[in-house]
Amino acid sequence: MEERDGRAGGFRKDTVDRLLRLHFRDGRTRVNGDAQLLMAEMLNVFVREAAARAARQAQTEDLEKVDIEHLEKVLPQLLLDF
Amino acid sequence: MAAAAAAGDEERLLLTQRLKAAVHYTVGCLCQEVEEDKDIRFSKQSIAAISEITFRQCETFARDLEMFARHAKRSTINTEDVKLLARRSSSLLKYITQKSDELASSNLEQKEKRKKKSSAAKGERTPGEKEAAVTENEDSNMS
Repeated sequence: MEERDGRAGGFRKDTVDRLLRLHFRDGRTRVNGDAQLLMAEMLNVFVREAAARAARQAQTEDLEKVDIEHLEKVLPQLLLDF
Repeated sequence: MAAAAAAGDEERLLLTQRLKAAVHYTVGCLCQEVEEDKDIRFSKQSIAAISEITFRQCETFARDLEMFARHAKRSTINTEDVKLLARRSSSLLKYITQKSDELASSNLEQKEKRKKKSSAAKGERTPGEKEAAVTENEDSNMS
């Protein structure tokens, strides 16, 4: 996977922290700083994979626009890989 | 009691909505990058769907991470827990491990910088310590 340091896109550290804390069952659970950064990266990869795989599916069907049906086709394998 | 619970629920709902909006925005940005990379367009519905799926996946991630940390008898989730999360795909695990190593080495660099600054400051106070600091620097130049 290429370096994307120059790009603006990507999840923010604090957003990731709040996203995770929304679902913790124990009120004492915290996420340390490095883990927040790593999880942001994990989510970036998740989204890019979903988008790229759906795009590849659309291109296989000779289409220029990615629609929900293309996402549906790639979703099972995506979830298995994560 | 019921009123307080209801207020708490409403607060949670608002937080959920705000977070969903934040996710949707970031997903839009990332999809735009993929559009440029692959010379393709995403329908609004497909972006919204990716956004929805990502938000839901966070719940699974959060629960798993919490379990991993608890299993290690910790209440703070660390990078080892995140790496466990990436175990299902070898290329994903490799990528996350790489990122984790990069983080660790940049943290180490920061520590080294702070150490050098504080030892330089000490050197100016005591002549004996200053000599020691100079010797140290010479050694590092040689290595």
